[in-house]
Amino acid sequence: MGAAPSTNEPAGPPAQQHGDHDTARQIPRRNFLAWLSGAGVVGSLVAGVFSTFVFMKPRVTYGQPNRFLIGHPEEFPSGARVAIDTKRVCIVREGNKVAAISTTCTHLGCIVAPSQTGFQCPCHGSQFDVDGNVTGGPAPKALAWFQVSLTPSGELEVDKDNEIQTGTYLSV
Amino acid sequence: MRVALAVVSLLVLIVGGVVVFDQFESRWQDHQAAYFHQALAQAKTDAERAALESRQPKIEQTIVTAFAGPGGETRIDRCQSCHIAVDDPRFASSKQPLATHPYSEAMGDIFRNGRWERRHKFTDFGCTVCHDGQGRGLDTADAHGEGEFWPAPMLGSTIQTGWDKEIASHLHGKEFLQANCAQCHTAKDFAGTPIVARGRELFFKTGCFGCHRIEGLSTGTLGPELTEVGKERKLDYLWGHLVNPRAYTPTSIMPQFKLSDDDKKALVIFLKSRRGSNPAESPTEAFRLNAAVTSAVPESVIPSEAMTAAAETSTPRGEKLIQQYACLSCHKLDARDGGISPDLSYEGLLHDGPWLMDHFHNPRSRVPDSNMPAFGLPENDFQAMAAYLLTRTAPPPAATPAETYKSLCARCHGDKGDGRGINAIYIDPAPRDLTKTEFMVSKPEARFLASITLGVPGTSMPAWGKALSGDQIKGVLDYVFQTYVHEPRRQLKPRKVPEQNPVPMSAASAARGEAIFLQRCTGCHGRKADGHGPNSMDISPRPRNLRNSAFIRNAPDRRLFESILYGVEGTAMPSWMDYGLAQNEVGDIVNYIRSLNEPAK
Repeated sequence: MGAAPSTNEPAGPPAQQHGDHDTARQIPRRNFLAWLSGAGVVGSLVAGVFSTFVFMKPRVTYGQPNRFLIGHPEEFPSGARVAIDTKRVCIVREGNKVAAISTTCTHLGCIVAPSQTGFQCPCHGSQFDVDGNVTGGPAPKALAWFQVSLTPSGELEVDKDNEIQTGTYLSV
Repeated sequence: MRVALAVVSLLVLIVGGVVVFDQFESRWQDHQAAYFHQALAQAKTDAERAALESRQPKIEQTIVTAFAGPGGETRIDRCQSCHIAVDDPRFASSKQPLATHPYSEAMGDIFRNGRWERRHKFTDFGCTVCHDGQGRGLDTADAHGEGEFWPAPMLGSTIQTGWDKEIASHLHGKEFLQANCAQCHTAKDFAGTPIVARGRELFFKTGCFGCHRIEGLSTGTLGPELTEVGKERKLDYLWGHLVNPRAYTPTSIMPQFKLSDDDKKALVIFLKSRRGSNPAESPTEAFRLNAAVTSAVPESVIPSEAMTAAAETSTPRGEKLIQQYACLSCHKLDARDGGISPDLSYEGLLHDGPWLMDHFHNPRSRVPDSNMPAFGLPENDFQAMAAYLLTRTAPPPAATPAETYKSLCARCHGDKGDGRGINAIYIDPAPRDLTKTEFMVSKPEARFLASITLGVPGTSMPAWGKALSGDQIKGVLDYVFQTYVHEPRRQLKPRKVPEQNPVPMSAASAARGEAIFLQRCTGCHGRKADGHGPNSMDISPRPRNLRNSAFIRNAPDRRLFESILYGVEGTAMPSWMDYGLAQNEVGDIVNYIRSLNEPAK
């Protein structure tokens, strides 16, 4: 970089010569190269920062997948309330309508158990009605409902990444 | 300077861009996008369409905790990141990777209410428990286990780089997956694994059980244990080792059995299914099940008809047992020939009852370097088989010497007399090379006649004098000299060799002999005097095993002295007299060798 002052002088006259013809459009070679270097450096930095931030969010984790199959609709007769503890959902079927309600307590994350009146948390006594709305205890909000869909193979699929409004059923 | 800076910074930008693109663009994303696109075209309802449109490609994985992976850890199978349509019946006729996994009743799938239901749901079982491969791989080569060092390439479909092409051509096919079905479905007669059952039958039929131990199945000790061979070895090794054991292990004594390609495939699939553990049962259960098996010979080997026929006179029963115990996958008896071990057709003439029983109990008690395993069969079976063999007393036909040589000698000594008969590589000490003129012309005729008539104890050479007349033996010897030895017998200078060892046997003499032996002899005969010294592999004929007691006890002092003092012509044994060994030193060595072979007190 010590050579910078000396390169200034020889680069000067040609720029002036060209300037006579077309000063507005002609970009001096020196500036052009500087732009190019700058674009390279800034571009690499942007790419580096971008990829660093992308890497911060893992694309996959060691947890059980959030989208999973739970079986054919026939396995859940009308009126069934089947809690699947490993997946932390309760499958509810009424007539031809199916829904999946979270069984993770909104208070501190214990697994709630289906009861006569809806759901009950064994840890701190939170109580929920059959739709998961809070009826008592420390739980701050209602249990989540998850999207249920029918796959082409005829099985029910629950997607826990996709919360839906309480009371939204899938017709089968 | 500026140009260089511009070029370098642009290069950095390009390389960085390529790396970022390579890291964040994967083939599985393309496959998933293609699936969403095709599924959208087939979608029937608006809800389905909306759901598909909102889906973004992401890594699909199944976490299987019920069936431990290769290292006993949770299986993580990301196969569905590419094979995303495995459970979508609309893609039955699509090409891989977007194809439906086939449904079949053989796998337990049920057709009910107009659609298939899987017996083995992918969410419960994953993929690699049946298919092998690398579940976490997201790139075809990684996931299918194509790399040379991945221990579990996909069974029956992935051929690893570096596999022999000829071997690999046999290793394609769905039937190889039966090896993995049998991981959990261990029942002998499980309907879904007929080839594993066939391989298991062959394991007993060809006598593999005699040498190899498999926990809960067999107790052989001569060969390596095969309980976990399916975990340790890949298909190419298993197949290649059956075709030619010495291709992988040059010193292997495993016979090259005559097997059809179908039999080889069945054995390879059976062996691949031996992984030492059932992923569906806990270690405690496995221990309890295996502890129940104590018999040396599992019931599956003992043929039921032979059991019920125990009342029959032992001779026909012995014949039946010899057929059923796979003796003839190595030995020759009349027309049937395994091409590996000696001919049993004249056994009643060549050997007597005690020899046979000793040899059954422990073949190495009679032929110390025999490769026949001690089968550990029930005693009354041995007796029946010995009784049958003792009835084989019909002498060989009185044919011309050439025919006699061909039918009796050529099996070991070879059609060309070069000691390379079909079973020569399995015989230790190896059959004499009759074309080695140096040796043949330097020994007196009486020595050859004695070897043929009386046999050579401790080797596979039987006493043919019990089956052939003296004239026949002389005829064969003359035939050998005419055909294979093209020089007249040499008149040797008289040699100064004592008849009896002049040095009396004593511990001190044996100790002096050992000192000399360690200095002079171990290069070929080995430190243990077992003939396996460092030079022994390059020498033909191989150095004598000096711990072969049957042989050494039968060799007179005169022969040992002559061999050491004057060397053995046509072999690597030099004349030690020329290297300065005196007669009393040779006497010490002979005493040392004799002391190695004294009967145990």
